[in-house]
Amino acid sequence: MSLRPWFVALAHSSLGQFMQNSRWGFAAVEAVHLLALTLLGGSVLVLDLRLLGLILRRESPRVLNRDLSRVLLSSLAILVLTGVALVSEEALKCYYNAAFRWKMALLAAAVLFYFTLYRRVVLRLASAATLASRVTAVISLSLWLGVGVAGRAIGLI
Amino acid sequence: MPLLQHICQVIYDSQIGTQIRESENLFSIIESVHVLAITLLVGTIAVLDLRMLGVVLREVSVTRIARAVFPLTWSGFGVMFVSGLLLFWAEAAKNYTNPAFRIKLVLLALVGLNPLIFHTTVYRRVQEWETARFSPWRARAAALASLTLWCGIIVAGRAIAYF
Repeated sequence: MSLRPWFVALAHSSLGQFMQNSRWGFAAVEAVHLLALTLLGGSVLVLDLRLLGLILRRESPRVLNRDLSRVLLSSLAILVLTGVALVSEEALKCYYNAAFRWKMALLAAAVLFYFTLYRRVVLRLASAATLASRVTAVISLSLWLGVGVAGRAIGLI
Repeated sequence: MPLLQHICQVIYDSQIGTQIRESENLFSIIESVHVLAITLLVGTIAVLDLRMLGVVLREVSVTRIARAVFPLTWSGFGVMFVSGLLLFWAEAAKNYTNPAFRIKLVLLALVGLNPLIFHTTVYRRVQEWETARFSPWRARAAALASLTLWCGIIVAGRAIAYF
């Protein structure tokens, strides 16, 4: 089953029409996307460096995760919403764009990883970093960095 | 031609500037590094700002978070400064007349002033309030100023490409 009809529908939706016809719409939404990316990146970095045992070693990973995951998930929500609006401006171009496909695959992997293994490791980690927490942090950092790099590449290829 | 504009033109015409500008991928690669390193610079300092505002990590002392994020923020600053300088090198003559670029420079000067004031005033007595769930109003004002200015810098930076 092809996802192409969904992209066509998005392009023809009122959101798509607005984004395609507005002069500053794309730029404004892109700026918000970038601001939310900053917050997501910051919270992911701090959490993962804690799992690596590099910073905040005396702080409980559970407490850090409780607060920072709120920042992470709310910025992720903004990223997804603004992302849909950005795609609606050039839906078919995105559909055929290799970087876009990579970004979506990596994003799905990053979110899935976060809600499954990542959470489990964070909640079980008592204090000092373990091999499991270090591996988890490296995977998480790589996945999120991959999402960012692929996202940046959408406009370049 | 004003002196500053003349200097920008010389930088623009220099060999390195021309090479970055005319290379097939170099400019895009440096620009991508510049964009992604925002998370290292602004994303980490935002965590400290949000802590002082009492939004996150209220149980953790302000100095512990500061000690954790400052090295990250500074390395982010290093990456941003070098990559930004290279981008400017390639586009100096165009940047000179770009309103978004000018606004970005003004905001950068202001955001540099902010920690200068913060560290010489309210942060000197941080031992008195580091564990408070909400920081004193001067610290909260500095945090709010930092978040606002950085947002402005990111938006202005992105807007450079639109002019």
